[in-house]
Amino acid sequence: MPPLCAKSKRQIVPASPQALATRSAALAARGLRDLSRDSNWLIKKIFSDHTSHLAISPTGQLCASSPLQRAGTERIALYDIELGEGNITLSVPGEPPVSAPGMLAAFAWSSTGRYLVAAWPGRGERLHAFDLYSKSPVGRFGGFSEFPRSLAWSDPGRYFACGSGDGAEARLRLWEKAPDSQSAVAFLDPPLSEAGGTRSFEKCFGAEWAERESGDEGAFTRFGRIAFSPDESALATVLEMEGEWADDSIAVLDVPTLRRLRVFPAQGHITGLAWTFDSRSLLYCSGGQAYRLTSESLVSESLPFGGELVTCHPHLRLCLCFSSWLKNSAKGRLFVANLNTLSTEDEYPAEGLVDLRWSYDGLKAYAVTADGLAYIYELPPL
Amino acid sequence: MAPKAANPPPAANPSEHATDRPVSVSTSLPLTPEEQELAHKLKEQAALESELADRELRAANLRAELAAFERQYLHFVGLRYAELDEWRARLAERLAVDQPGNERAQHAAREARALAEETKTVAGEKSSQPPRAFTATLEMKRLFRDVAKRIHPDLTSDRNDRAKRQGLMAEANRAYQSGDQQRLVKILTEYEHSPEAVAGEGPGLELVRVIRRVSQARSRLAELEAEIQQLRRSDLYQLKLRVEEAEKSGQDILKQMIVKVNEQITQAKRRLKIETERAH
Repeated sequence: MPPLCAKSKRQIVPASPQALATRSAALAARGLRDLSRDSNWLIKKIFSDHTSHLAISPTGQLCASSPLQRAGTERIALYDIELGEGNITLSVPGEPPVSAPGMLAAFAWSSTGRYLVAAWPGRGERLHAFDLYSKSPVGRFGGFSEFPRSLAWSDPGRYFACGSGDGAEARLRLWEKAPDSQSAVAFLDPPLSEAGGTRSFEKCFGAEWAERESGDEGAFTRFGRIAFSPDESALATVLEMEGEWADDSIAVLDVPTLRRLRVFPAQGHITGLAWTFDSRSLLYCSGGQAYRLTSESLVSESLPFGGELVTCHPHLRLCLCFSSWLKNSAKGRLFVANLNTLSTEDEYPAEGLVDLRWSYDGLKAYAVTADGLAYIYELPPL
Repeated sequence: MAPKAANPPPAANPSEHATDRPVSVSTSLPLTPEEQELAHKLKEQAALESELADRELRAANLRAELAAFERQYLHFVGLRYAELDEWRARLAERLAVDQPGNERAQHAAREARALAEETKTVAGEKSSQPPRAFTATLEMKRLFRDVAKRIHPDLTSDRNDRAKRQGLMAEANRAYQSGDQQRLVKILTEYEHSPEAVAGEGPGLELVRVIRRVSQARSRLAELEAEIQQLRRSDLYQLKLRVEEAEKSGQDILKQMIVKVNEQITQAKRRLKIETERAH
């Protein structure tokens, strides 16, 4: 047997006082982890209160609002899902103290998880931008008479969209980052383009939309979920209709003009919306069912699984879905579906989820309930 | 060296005074305070020498066992991980080719390739002979303990001698881990016949030397204990414990790990095939 030191650096160095000089340490750790892991899912309690106003970042941070924030000027509570603990709160100078629980809030994370844009009702409603590195506000933009409910940030970070208002006051606005600015959140007023509001819906969304609006299928209420295509060429937004049995639609708009490209009618209310990484398809959930809408064929395809929330992997043909209703059991599940084979890759029982997100590198996925229970999915290596 | 000139001749090794020859006391003259202190310190040194030799043996055993387990682990499981990472890197690269504009896919491919190279380097080449677990005979243990006791670098206060002993001690560790009994005997014999093994000087200087040796021995004891604890906290040691515990109940953990990794390799190959067909 050859001497250990002469063989290679990965061997234990015999006489060193700091003897643990093994290059194989990472492989040993990997073996231990694989050995003890009988599931790709990890469940953690993040907070003990209740709120559906929260958003997961691509780095596993969770921002949440009322009633979790403490009384005073603090507006947003931040939690680290991996560590299972809250770490900081964010506030904006000059905001008046609040103590009443139940504050609404809307959030949008930048694709790297460094920046957060948040909105909440209050004096002089604006969109507030925070830098999570410095943990401080770095700017504000917008301006609303109605609370902005839907926010979205394009993946490359060039555009920001916001849906606000109800009925005839409903507006969808798009900002573009100032081209010369070094700041990642330099969205300058006024917005680059706008849809809805005082402009006619027929002009924005076509004659068929106007027919629906005046028909018996319910009136347009507001802009729901917004999702930028990863290549920033289009934006999809849900046109929410009033009434329990009404059918929502999906409008695909050109970026940055917000010109209507297509409106797809759905069945029931749309609760989940996400683009696939190649910007070719939209996944959406309506009436508890998952669908795929291929922009090329303009055909909506019912997927062989239910779904209420959906998010697509950043570079694999996978999606993470939540369905609160499982056939024959009435129990919910969180699952990863393969969009090539349309089969379920992995699943875990889950109830009451309000947000899902893949990590920036696609190695993990996060899901959180309104009661603060977090599900961490570790993607088995490809 | 003995505290009195009239006492036994210089020992081959200063530490032998404490181990084998208690300080002789002249019947005609009372011991000077220095000689009394020297006798006391030599006793302390003798106790420390034994403890140090024992702990060196424990540390050497632990290092050798871990090194042998590491070789086994890398041979049986590490190489499978290397193959798995290679397939995953090819798959990630295939996906990156399909998505030239997707920076995350490009990043994932670079990361996967880097991991594959790293795992390949760590796992090393497949050897023709499967590595064996470390076992030391009683004779080997006794020999190593003797070597540690005689030539331990912390049991000399001479700078040149200390440097020589450090080299020999490292060599003794290697010989022990590789089961080279003859080499251990040679290390011991050569040192005992070397000029550095001969010591001289009077009781005052000898006392200073012994005090320093005691201090060095105590430091080394602490270092060894820290090293042993560090080794025991390592993932490699934890994995070794898991394997050994499972063996007691008739389970072969390494084999189970191989099966798991093989399944993942099959899965990665299948996905690569699907993606390649899709691309064409």
